[in-house]
Amino acid sequence: MPNVKLSKSFGFVFAGLVALVWLVPVVMMLAVSFMPPNQRAPKFGGLLINGVSLDNYRTVFSDAPILRHLVNSLIIACSSVLLVVLFGSLAGYAFARLRIRWKETWFFLLISALMLPIPTMIVPLFQVNKTLGLLDNYLGLILPYAAFGTPLALIIFRSFFEGLPLEVEEAAKVDGCSKLGIYWRIVMPISWPAIAAVVIFQFMASFNEFVLALVTIDRNELKPMTLVPLMYSGQFMARPGVMFATLALITIPVLVIYVLMQRYLTRGMIAGAVKG
Amino acid sequence: MVVTRSSGAGFKPNSPRTRTALRWNWDFLFLIPALSLFSVFVLYPFCSIFFRSVYQWDGVNQATFVGLKNFIEILTRDYGFWLAMRNALYWAPITIVAQMIVGFALAYILTSGVPFQSIFRAIIYFPAIVSPIVVGIVWQRIYNPFGGLLSDIGAAWHIPALMIPFLSDPKIAIFSVIVVNIWQWTGYSMILYVAGLKTIPEEILEAGTLDGAGVFKRITRIIWPMLRHVHLTLILLGIIGTLQTFPIIYVMTQGGPNHATEMLPNYIFTQAFRLQAVGYASALSVILLLLALSLSVFQMKVFGSRFAT
Repeated sequence: MPNVKLSKSFGFVFAGLVALVWLVPVVMMLAVSFMPPNQRAPKFGGLLINGVSLDNYRTVFSDAPILRHLVNSLIIACSSVLLVVLFGSLAGYAFARLRIRWKETWFFLLISALMLPIPTMIVPLFQVNKTLGLLDNYLGLILPYAAFGTPLALIIFRSFFEGLPLEVEEAAKVDGCSKLGIYWRIVMPISWPAIAAVVIFQFMASFNEFVLALVTIDRNELKPMTLVPLMYSGQFMARPGVMFATLALITIPVLVIYVLMQRYLTRGMIAGAVKG
Repeated sequence: MVVTRSSGAGFKPNSPRTRTALRWNWDFLFLIPALSLFSVFVLYPFCSIFFRSVYQWDGVNQATFVGLKNFIEILTRDYGFWLAMRNALYWAPITIVAQMIVGFALAYILTSGVPFQSIFRAIIYFPAIVSPIVVGIVWQRIYNPFGGLLSDIGAAWHIPALMIPFLSDPKIAIFSVIVVNIWQWTGYSMILYVAGLKTIPEEILEAGTLDGAGVFKRITRIIWPMLRHVHLTLILLGIIGTLQTFPIIYVMTQGGPNHATEMLPNYIFTQAFRLQAVGYASALSVILLLLALSLSVFQMKVFGSRFAT
């Protein structure tokens, strides 16, 4: 069928061109970050460089405590992931299996936070953190991230649990297992696809979150990665290579998580698509 | 006891009041952790915005009750606010339409067995996982009229249209930022369309071919209408996304020049954290929340709520 072949090669060319254009900013970021520091006025915004050097990365590691910021980000992101998985699955299990009064009302109330993203609530969230003494404290980010991440987790867990066969849980119930025991020992161990989807979403959301971090964390040694480019923007202004090396370093952790867990991404996105 | 309480099938009709009371005490505990986080960091802040919006307050000193003065001020003479509204009206439709068309075209091509299709998909999705801060700084360099990528291309190939100040000309700055937003999020809509396309049964597509429908007709008459739920999801996400746009504006233009790229969250941030007008910022937040909520509720009423699960 020549027609099919023709449309396929047209499709290949079209998709290839789009992908090429899409790659330009990424390639430019890497190119500038590997630019030798003595190069002045690189061609095409730095897309073409006259040599590769690791000097910019060396400068980042020596001038900025970048690993410290990475650890801050990881502590914040991982703790909020843990809370979201735990709280979201507990509530999701209750909504899927247990009998709760006004179940759908509670459910709607809890997922309504999807309509109130963090940037729209930044003023009162800052005030709450101030009142609770959580400014300049990891918890001032961990807890709000968990609160705003729970709705999506709740939707993913509830729909996943509802799709599980009842037999095993019934058997465990007959054997005298408590509800909490069934949830923890029977249901959670077979729910890793849902857990993975929640982990990837919550990790990326809290790793990349910006505005709450900006107003909550003032002490430099507590700042997460996402604030690093602005912290050093004055210092690195005349050295775009160093700035872009920082940007590349910020991107690596999310990229790793994405590559490791992308199989579960689509599921989470489809569940997350009710967002709104 | 455990058995009576646990399963729906085995209920004995003893006193209904004790039964519900027991269930409340036990099963409801599963919701307590999520609910407590929710009350402190979602519900209370939500209510407090409304409370604070009728005060004049700098965030530190005694607040003064001013009634609806903040709202009247915003709606009648706030230049920044109305520019933010205008920009939202540019932002949402342009982003949504571009992402739907490009995202769908890519999804269609990249599910049809093109060589390297999963690599192409990964490349186009990649910007969606990158921090908006990184995206903003990289694109600033692309747009830079002095030695940026576009101006260098324009200089090399004599295209004056590429040698303009993309981010500092108030007439085009907002569109320059919208392009970045489209670049970042088209991959996301593509992935949603890929998932949607996989739910369309093979036979339906084949039946169309046998009836003599060409590729174009098959797409417009059969496939596009069958992806209704994906379109609706993308519209909803696009609107919500527009109303929460912050980091990219903050990094690229700070809402400038002279509010030309102002978006509501950035304006709220400026009022609250730069001008210390916390009451005024709360009133702005109330307007933003009411917009977000009414648009969401409107969409759910019109299209049904769990349309994408």
